[in-house]
Amino acid sequence: MKIAIEELASCSGCTIAILDLHEALLDVLGKAEIVYAPVIMDVKEPPEGIDLAFVTGAVRNEENKERLRKIRKRAKTVVALGTCACYGGISGLSMLFNKEDMFNYVFRGVETVRPDGVIPKDVPPFLYRAFAVGDIEKVDYYITGCPPKEMYLKKILPALVSGEPLALSKKSVCSECDRVMGAHEHWQLKRRYEGVPDRDHCLLGQGYLCLGAVTFGRCGASCPHSNVPCHGCNGPSLDILREPCRDIYNMMIRRIADLTDKPEAEIEKQIYDVAHTFYPFTIGSLIMEDKGISKIRDLIKERNV
Amino acid sequence: MTELRITPVTRLEGHAQVRITLNSGNEVERAHFNVMELRGFEKFLIGAAVEEAPRITPRICGICPTSHHLASVKAVDAILGAEPPETARKLRELLNHAQYIHSHAIHFFMLAAPDFLVGHDAPAADRSVIGIAKKDPGLAKKAIEVRKLGQRITEAVGGKPIHPSNAVPGGMSRPLDETARGNLLAMAKGGLAIAKEGWELARTMMDGTDLTLGTVETGFLAMTKEKKYSPYEGTVETMGKDRSPLGSFTGADYTKHITEFSEDWSYLKFTKLANGTFYRVGPQARLNICSSMGTPIADAALKEYRGKFGETVQAPLACNLARYVEFLASCERVVELLEDPAITGTNIRAPVAGVKAARGVGIIEAPRGTLIHDYMVNEKGFIERCNLIVATCQNNYAIDRSVEAVAKPLVKDGKLPEAAANRIEMVIRSYDPCISCATHAIGRRAWPIEIVRSGDGAGKGETLRPHEGDDLLC
Repeated sequence: MKIAIEELASCSGCTIAILDLHEALLDVLGKAEIVYAPVIMDVKEPPEGIDLAFVTGAVRNEENKERLRKIRKRAKTVVALGTCACYGGISGLSMLFNKEDMFNYVFRGVETVRPDGVIPKDVPPFLYRAFAVGDIEKVDYYITGCPPKEMYLKKILPALVSGEPLALSKKSVCSECDRVMGAHEHWQLKRRYEGVPDRDHCLLGQGYLCLGAVTFGRCGASCPHSNVPCHGCNGPSLDILREPCRDIYNMMIRRIADLTDKPEAEIEKQIYDVAHTFYPFTIGSLIMEDKGISKIRDLIKERNV
Repeated sequence: MTELRITPVTRLEGHAQVRITLNSGNEVERAHFNVMELRGFEKFLIGAAVEEAPRITPRICGICPTSHHLASVKAVDAILGAEPPETARKLRELLNHAQYIHSHAIHFFMLAAPDFLVGHDAPAADRSVIGIAKKDPGLAKKAIEVRKLGQRITEAVGGKPIHPSNAVPGGMSRPLDETARGNLLAMAKGGLAIAKEGWELARTMMDGTDLTLGTVETGFLAMTKEKKYSPYEGTVETMGKDRSPLGSFTGADYTKHITEFSEDWSYLKFTKLANGTFYRVGPQARLNICSSMGTPIADAALKEYRGKFGETVQAPLACNLARYVEFLASCERVVELLEDPAITGTNIRAPVAGVKAARGVGIIEAPRGTLIHDYMVNEKGFIERCNLIVATCQNNYAIDRSVEAVAKPLVKDGKLPEAAANRIEMVIRSYDPCISCATHAIGRRAWPIEIVRSGDGAGKGETLRPHEGDDLLC
């Protein structure tokens, strides 16, 4: 079994997530050989005959695209590892502004540069937008998570190596959360910094925008468990992926309406910063953008015109 | 016209490129360090509710997410007028040291050590942590064990081992319970024992290596607390290459001391001090500037390090050892913090109500160097301006010059043999650059080394891509 790890536009966190198998990684290495993983070894190009390739990161420039094409060609099985590879991830937020505005701000706008700063030209150009790996090439398996969690990778990796089927939960973050619903008569949306959440009751019921209901699980609801609202880093829940009429935004509004008996229109008036609170991990996904009801189309500035 | 490339430079966190230009005599005319992508966090944070920044910015880097998490939350604390309680401050310090343990262990054992323990001229296939695992399985297991300590603390205190979430405006979201404290303390003592044992290896590891490789002379910048080593909080000090003090600052005053500039050939910005001095940050800078580490084992190691390299260390390869001195300090300090009764306190979060200041600057020493998050917000707390100064930007100049210094004698007749290329990579590695952080950047593939013949102007010349299976093309 020959394994490769390819990093595209990413933070390297998914590669670290594989290292975070710790000593269990040695067991995997006993049954499989890593033939290409530039972060840890000096093999410069993916060889032919890869059995299992993990691709992490989004596709943001021409080279990412070329790398992805090459690893797809050379690997029997391609796994999109992590939320960037699956849905574009946080990098997709770059589409909130166009490239020119971004370059102008970074090289000429921030507090420590000069207004006549050089905007690099002798560098590779961006693609017109960010893409998830599956928007560009065929993907055999998706493993979501920013990054995927150790307790699941410990089951998934040996199963992928041995080819044994593996049944895993397909439920949302809420299904893994230990909170109970509390009173919510005078429900008002809070900013996530306001007050101190009560540890026992549903964060959404307390007025915090917790995306647990619309987010795929397999994280043990680690943020709600730590008294922090879910911000959706595992990507959308299965019902949203399956149903064209379901989207992160509208399902959250509907959920709050069901919970509070407030009309949806009234809830929507309280919503703030839709890009960074609803879509920070999925804005770069064509699957999510292509839903007729998605708010992503209204948010992105970079278009292929 | 010829172009040589090593693509990618490996055993590195993230991706960039080195470009070497040859003159007509096939010698190196100049060499540059290019970074090929930009992610634009500074721009796309504009409009964000400021409390989202500590959740979003860890995604700048999967290796030092805690550093961004903490710098960001310190900036947001300042904006919301929050003063975290003592236990929260200690939990954050614990998180910061856990970040060092993980990051320094990865770099030392998994990225840099193969060059010295397996050998920098050894075949490429053996020169990796997998090579070390084959050569010395016991060492590989210990490296795994000690890095795990860092990740376990981060998970217990920060909520998740990668991209932690628990540092919130006003403090921490969850206390550390007694059971978790006990488990972590036992692990930390084991980790410290491994770190001490590893020092025996580290102290002589580079004895057979030419330590002048890639030496450049710069000033230094690092945060200390009353001159003592203090990566979580303190005052940023600067010094020239002759140790002359060049000023100190806290908070928003960083803009009076640090200026950034860019070049046409790289997305990665450069920095210098207001008086034009180029400087470095990171383990070497911190050790050059601090008077002591504040823990006994690390202080003994610092003494030995200074005995070997002197008071002001310029050689980039020495950074591998400086990093290890810090690794010892973090292992000692986590034991101290976990033994501190205050660490399990439950007063961990000062409630915050709304925007108290229009600007907040958070400064922390990340494993690779001083990290600054600067946000300006409107009255409702939505970000209007954002500036991020990361370690690798500040080291960009020194890396760039080191690459040229190493490349010059190594390129012969316009060719760069594999082992020589690895020497360039080895010096780059000693800076432990993090390109993801540096460009707040989606990493590009890697760090090709490209050689362009100068002269006839137009175009960059023909690019020869590596053949299948070739490590390197000359």
